[in-house]
Amino acid sequence: MALRSKVINLYKTLLYMGRDYPQGYDYFRDKLRKAFDKNRHETDPTQIKKMIVHGNYVIRELQALYMLKKYRTMKKRYYDESPKL
Amino acid sequence: MASSIRTIRLLSRSTGFFRNSSCCVASARLANVSEFNQRFLHTIKRTSLPALTQVNGQSVRSYSHTIEEKPTLKEVQDRVLKVVAAYDKVTADKRVRHYSEKPPLTVKFITDRVLLVLKLYDKIDAEKLTLDSHFMNDLGLDSLDHVEVIMAMEDEFGFEIPDMDAERLVTPAAIARYVADKEDIYE
Repeated sequence: MALRSKVINLYKTLLYMGRDYPQGYDYFRDKLRKAFDKNRHETDPTQIKKMIVHGNYVIRELQALYMLKKYRTMKKRYYDESPKL
Repeated sequence: MASSIRTIRLLSRSTGFFRNSSCCVASARLANVSEFNQRFLHTIKRTSLPALTQVNGQSVRSYSHTIEEKPTLKEVQDRVLKVVAAYDKVTADKRVRHYSEKPPLTVKFITDRVLLVLKLYDKIDAEKLTLDSHFMNDLGLDSLDHVEVIMAMEDEFGFEIPDMDAERLVTPAAIARYVADKEDIYE
């Protein structure tokens, strides 16, 4: 039961994170739903724990993505054209 | 001609009519200099007139001649309130402002809002939805859909529902009762 609430918590956190997703919330929700549905019959606790760890990794990736997006937006605002490298 | 223009400029600057000077210069090219001086002296006379009277102290300069006496405090208050009310479109008749306060909630209103949010959720069949229908058993949602429903309720009512409480909220009636308890509404 503890694992179940952990998974639900993970899903909720990911949904919150997905609100600002660049391709839109609906897109993110569908993808997330598919990812969770794919493993919905998993019963092995070690396997589930591994997936939860992967979910937390995805959360950190999302955070990094938003930081990068913010940084790029700020940069675009201060410099008209991106410097040619 | 050039010297006359210079003197005109000097004059105009000294009397503070600098704004007129450009058009004066333009017209001076055509007009007779003496005639122009006459016109200009006329303006000098006119501008210096009120200053003179002030020096004499015969009349205090008043900008509006119609004010006989000062309005009372009551009149001023009424006028200000009238103006403020005219701009206040929300509560002009009641003269009560709510700023950021929420509209008063009733149990009926909460229930309606819960049902509306559920109807707008795409995975719920609006015909099958009743106040006591169970999300999983009657409406065919799974636990992840339930999480989304609870999140929609959090957005609708503006507070967070902890996971422990969310587990128990499996019917629209339960959600409505939970929200009413949180907002301290019992009638």
